[in-house]
Amino acid sequence: MTHIKIRKGHNIRISGAPVNEYYNVEKTKTVSIQPQDFRYVKPKLLVKVGDKVEIGSPLFFDKVQPNIKWASPGGGEIKDVILGERRSIQNIIIDLDEEENSIIHSPVKYQEISSLGKSKVTDRILEANLWPIIRQRPFNKIADPNDNPRAIFISGFNSAPLSVNLDFALRHKQSVFQAGLDVLNQLSDGGVHLTFEADTNCETLTSARNVNLHTVIGPHPSGNVGIQIHHIDPWKSHEVIWVVNAQHVLTIGDLFLKGIYDPSIVATIAGPGVKKPAHIKTRIGSNLELFLSNNLHSDDNRIISGDVLTGKETNVNGYLGYYDTTVSVIPNSDEREFLGLLKPGNENTRYSVTNAFLSQSKNTFNFTTQQSGSLRPMVPINSWEDVLPMNIYPNALYRSILAEDFEEMEGLGLLECDEEDFALCSFVCPSKIDVGSIIRQGLNLMKDDG
Amino acid sequence: MVNALRKLIQNIEPKFMDGGLFQKFYPIFEATESFLFSTSKKTTSGPHIRDSVDIKRVMILVVLALIPCYIFGAINIGVQSGIALGKERTLFDNFIFGMGYIIPIILVTFIAGGFWEVLFAVIRKHDIYEGFLVTCALIPLLMPPTIPLWQVFVATSFGIVIGKEIFGGVGYNIFNPALVTRAFIYFAYPTSIAGDKVWLVAPDGYSGATALSIPAATENSNALDLLNNVNQFDFSWINMVMGYVPGSIGETNKIIILLGAIFLVYVKIASWRTMLGATLGLFFTAILTNILAPFSSNTMLSLPPHYHLVMGSFMFGVAFMATEPVTSSHTNRGKWIYGFLIGSLTVIIRSINPAYPEGIMLAILLMNAFAPLIDYFVVQKNINQRKLRYAK
Repeated sequence: MTHIKIRKGHNIRISGAPVNEYYNVEKTKTVSIQPQDFRYVKPKLLVKVGDKVEIGSPLFFDKVQPNIKWASPGGGEIKDVILGERRSIQNIIIDLDEEENSIIHSPVKYQEISSLGKSKVTDRILEANLWPIIRQRPFNKIADPNDNPRAIFISGFNSAPLSVNLDFALRHKQSVFQAGLDVLNQLSDGGVHLTFEADTNCETLTSARNVNLHTVIGPHPSGNVGIQIHHIDPWKSHEVIWVVNAQHVLTIGDLFLKGIYDPSIVATIAGPGVKKPAHIKTRIGSNLELFLSNNLHSDDNRIISGDVLTGKETNVNGYLGYYDTTVSVIPNSDEREFLGLLKPGNENTRYSVTNAFLSQSKNTFNFTTQQSGSLRPMVPINSWEDVLPMNIYPNALYRSILAEDFEEMEGLGLLECDEEDFALCSFVCPSKIDVGSIIRQGLNLMKDDG
Repeated sequence: MVNALRKLIQNIEPKFMDGGLFQKFYPIFEATESFLFSTSKKTTSGPHIRDSVDIKRVMILVVLALIPCYIFGAINIGVQSGIALGKERTLFDNFIFGMGYIIPIILVTFIAGGFWEVLFAVIRKHDIYEGFLVTCALIPLLMPPTIPLWQVFVATSFGIVIGKEIFGGVGYNIFNPALVTRAFIYFAYPTSIAGDKVWLVAPDGYSGATALSIPAATENSNALDLLNNVNQFDFSWINMVMGYVPGSIGETNKIIILLGAIFLVYVKIASWRTMLGATLGLFFTAILTNILAPFSSNTMLSLPPHYHLVMGSFMFGVAFMATEPVTSSHTNRGKWIYGFLIGSLTVIIRSINPAYPEGIMLAILLMNAFAPLIDYFVVQKNINQRKLRYAK
């Protein structure tokens, strides 16, 4: 058991934080899977427009690893397959039936889970087409079922802005969660590591058994699983570590205990553009329109699937990403202040981790999509280092990636990193450099290089 | 008024866009527009929201921190020339008198600096970078009030082009361009700026030795006794802190510099590690030279550390130039070493080499050159630790 104390980082005080209540919405009518949520995957369709699918039927598979397939998060009819550039599959949209059918597997008794063994567990998750919920470090991509991971890490704490409060979302789900943990335990000799916030009172987390429990305290990115791995037992070369989202542990638990794929998930609808920021009970890949109609302050917004730091832009008619559990809405703003850069600034107009403005209140801030500056060459005033709680030199790493110096990139620990851990660096950077995407560029280079 | 201006800018914008008459001069348009109305750019990649600080703000704050140095600098020019002429003026008269010397230097610096920045921005087709504002705000403060303006023009051009632009502009330069400017004058026109004789706005023939050159020029003596025996100027410690001594325009008042340094640390632009490291380096080395002083005929060795601290441009250099983020060490650990060596080298150059009474400029330039090497070792240590861990 490790207690992690994170000092470097920052909790962005963005307005529109979700309350710990469920916002009641009707059942969604369409769901989708967007193959571009999965990096390094070459999707090949198994269905065509008009086909009938059940919850859990395979929609497509990966040409690189054909035994990995993707389960349909809904039962109904394939309404559309949207193709993008060079016929890449953008979106598989499913119209849901009133009464959805589900593929049923034989359930396993809780007591029997721990005697299943790795190969049976792997086969069952693959058969249920749910393998994509298991991802690996390095590269933060879908795990290879043939690998023998050193350990499996689960973060039971979301620190990203406006994200789901896991204490709230996992409440009263102890038995399913525990079953999921026991299943995952079979997959790695190193066992499962579960980290949660030190002052949590969620019994689902605190009373978890058969796993290594860790606690963490401190600002974002303390909830990022990559940061937790770095502080508990950092990645070493030639090994893989698997990671699973806490809510997906429930999905796995249900799959074994009940024998069905339950695609439901708790998400948040939040941000400065939302009238009633709250949690919602929805499902993976749900259409967003129902949650957003009549719930926005104005028309000109950016709708993001995911949190404001790492999410993808979508629209009111868009869909929740496969791994996303936050829908963030921030207004677009064209406001331009006359001689703004000479003004001292106050807490309503400026937000900064530095003290460059007279905005010292601890109130929440109505962020917009304004970049607040233009791209400039790097002027290293230490802003990146102050929000990166890792034993890594972000500056040096950034330059080694631009120089494509492979040895240096690896030596500086690139393979221990993921772009989400560097999102705050981009947020604070006065030169407005997108550090995270450079980290991803480096990871892609390393991956292509083998 | 503001709306009319906004409209005017919107109307002329197409002329500067692709295909417009002044397409080549888009950087000038962009700089003016974003200065007046801040940028309208929205986030496209990466985080959808961003911190309000940008490089413009960073640079403006540094310039803001320098303004008190200008005000006191102007007053001090008047005071010092008053002493030379035997005249008493009011504070305001002194300020106006000094400004008469400072404003032409500022104008020449900004004309030269702005010209090169715009030229390179137009040729390289990038925005006008704000870094030149700080460089041009620093240069006049490093100059003696009596500097010939053509030398300022030539040196600023040299500093901006050779010190910065040939490396690729802001963010890529190795040496602090303002210091390159000063070093250029120092070596090309030493009679204007060498630092052994005082620079005063005074009648021809009026001259005197600077505080640093007095102990440097005399052998087998005690530095403090020498300074206390100067009648021409008050070289007491407290007066050197208060800044009423001859010197370059911006460097004399240490209290104003200290406040500027605290401000820059508070707004998280300058590194306190560099500043503290440099001060420690200065004290450490000065104490060492004090211990060695009895065994040498070099009087400078006997100068106590707290005098080193307030004499010459040490504090100004450390607060505003050593901390320049691009040319300093980039790692936190590196900043300690980088700062310490600047402080240490300053004392060594001042004490050991009587030809250069002031050491801070050369110390910073030298350490600018070595900063990447320091970072290399700091980073390499991290790499080696990781290699060890991976090997386990």
